[in-house]
Amino acid sequence: MKNPVGPVLRMGDEVEQVIAAIEDDNPGMEIEVIDRGSYVRVQGEERIVLTRDTLREYLGHEFEIHTLGAMMSSFVGRVITTSDAIVWERISARREAPAGEGVPA
Amino acid sequence: MALLKREEWQQYVRDVNWTYSYVDDEAVYPEWHSGTGKVPRSAWLTWEEDYKVTYPEYVATQRDKESSAYAVKAALQRSTTFDHLDEGWKSSTKMHFGGVALVEYAAVLGELKMARFGLNAAWRNMATFGQLDELRHAQITTFFGHEFVKKDPQYDWTQKTFHMDNWVPISLRNLFDGMMIAPNVVDLAIALPFTFETGFTNLQFVALSADALEAGDVNFANMISSIQTDEARHSQQGGPTMEILVEHDPVRAQWIIDKNFWGSARAFAALTGPAMDYYTPLEHRKQSYREFMEEWIIDQFVHTIEDYGLKKPWFWDEFMRGLDTWHHGLHMGLWFWRPTLWWRPKAAVSKDERDWLREKYPNWETVYGDKWDVIIDNINNNNVEATLPETLPWLCSMCNLPCCNAVQARNGRWRVPEWSLTYDGKTFQFCSNACRQIWWKDRDNVNHETLIDRFLAGQIQPMDVGGILTHMGLTPEVMGDDPDYEAWTKDYAGRPATGIAAVAAPAGQEGA
Repeated sequence: MKNPVGPVLRMGDEVEQVIAAIEDDNPGMEIEVIDRGSYVRVQGEERIVLTRDTLREYLGHEFEIHTLGAMMSSFVGRVITTSDAIVWERISARREAPAGEGVPA
Repeated sequence: MALLKREEWQQYVRDVNWTYSYVDDEAVYPEWHSGTGKVPRSAWLTWEEDYKVTYPEYVATQRDKESSAYAVKAALQRSTTFDHLDEGWKSSTKMHFGGVALVEYAAVLGELKMARFGLNAAWRNMATFGQLDELRHAQITTFFGHEFVKKDPQYDWTQKTFHMDNWVPISLRNLFDGMMIAPNVVDLAIALPFTFETGFTNLQFVALSADALEAGDVNFANMISSIQTDEARHSQQGGPTMEILVEHDPVRAQWIIDKNFWGSARAFAALTGPAMDYYTPLEHRKQSYREFMEEWIIDQFVHTIEDYGLKKPWFWDEFMRGLDTWHHGLHMGLWFWRPTLWWRPKAAVSKDERDWLREKYPNWETVYGDKWDVIIDNINNNNVEATLPETLPWLCSMCNLPCCNAVQARNGRWRVPEWSLTYDGKTFQFCSNACRQIWWKDRDNVNHETLIDRFLAGQIQPMDVGGILTHMGLTPEVMGDDPDYEAWTKDYAGRPATGIAAVAAPAGQEGA
């Protein structure tokens, strides 16, 4: 990948479900998973979105975006958190975006 | 009752930038702490973090993290897991506990400084969470290390290290005082959250957890990777600070990154390098130190700084060459001066281990093999004394680590070059060109005196190895020694010992 972005997840029971949710939320995108045992790199090109709704399908109806913070040891790119979603995107994407164009989740 | 979403209320409670009427702004945010420099004060109004968190979210998540970490500890406390860990791996953890516990506390002070003097309320808010994070890290690291004191007194250095004038903590204090205690908050945000926590801590807290898990130390792997989840969040103070600084003063931004990158790289070569490539049992090594550096620093961190519009540091070629040499030389130095350590460094140069080192580092045998052969042959000749130190190494006036970096000259020979300069009537020694350059640019800084400076000034008495060890706080029950000489020398027993000076001397005499 030229500009990989995405989370590094620490060991735990829910890693596979988070990866499945990322794949669901980013259809058509190649999601690379590098498993190093105690941590797993999950990455896609330029921008990955992960929504609370999809996470709840896999991890229960009370799962919140901030709960992901307990699993994410690191990440590549810029991370943007809202109540509904978390986004990892290339850091320079915002600088290159036309004025007034935000980066909605 | 439905709760408002965070986005609907956070800005009203977080963005509390007061306009002062009874005091001058300079009195509240003095330049020497707030450090705006060439950046107009108005520019800081645009500072905004992307990784947002509220206090209720923070408390809920941190509670989960703590419960999880302590649950694993409690479950393993009654098992014999610790007793079966390899001595080399245990040394990695002793080095970590001693080297990290109170650095975390220094980071509390750094975060508090940003929470007080940061020039935007959102930044101060984030730093407040950051200092709570670092307090957790200081506590959990101290507590987890303290658990093992009853099994091994070397773990007492979890709490003791930073209070001692041992050469390792002097080096670390020099680095982290410069990174966390001395700078104004703008430089601090670039040095600590951006350079150190976005880059280097990943190596010690995430990459090393892969080796920890392989080595069977689930508790340690769980603790360090839990700590790094906090770093992943509060390190994001660096990004918004960087964006503003790059726009108004890119030269300053690049300099702060460069010098802290170099200092961190030197420290990690001394501590993380030997842990990954020597102390972790061969069968449990997930990747080499160089491979982990390539993954986390060269690919991930450098990609990040280039994305912010900056360049690779000026010393890049020297740094890249050092990936094949620094930590090997430092490992040999740590092993040779092993009585000065609070862990048991294992040499780890058996034939299988050397095969692995040659595979990962094609020049390893050429540069280090013959030196280890001398040591091996001395030990196989029952002359361990010949492998013990009687003098001190030159320590670098910048990084405080031994000057032991092998460099290949144009004629192909490997040597340890002398890097020195004379300033104000005194000659200073350095381990590398970049350490010398950084020292020169920062020469008005108050750097810690190296152990050699202290020795030559007569601060260490008596001026012999015993006096030095006492000065450094080493007592016989914690003094480092190789945990198992036979493990890495038996492959070579009985071979012709051509490389040792000691064999030529009459029995009973020492040589080195």
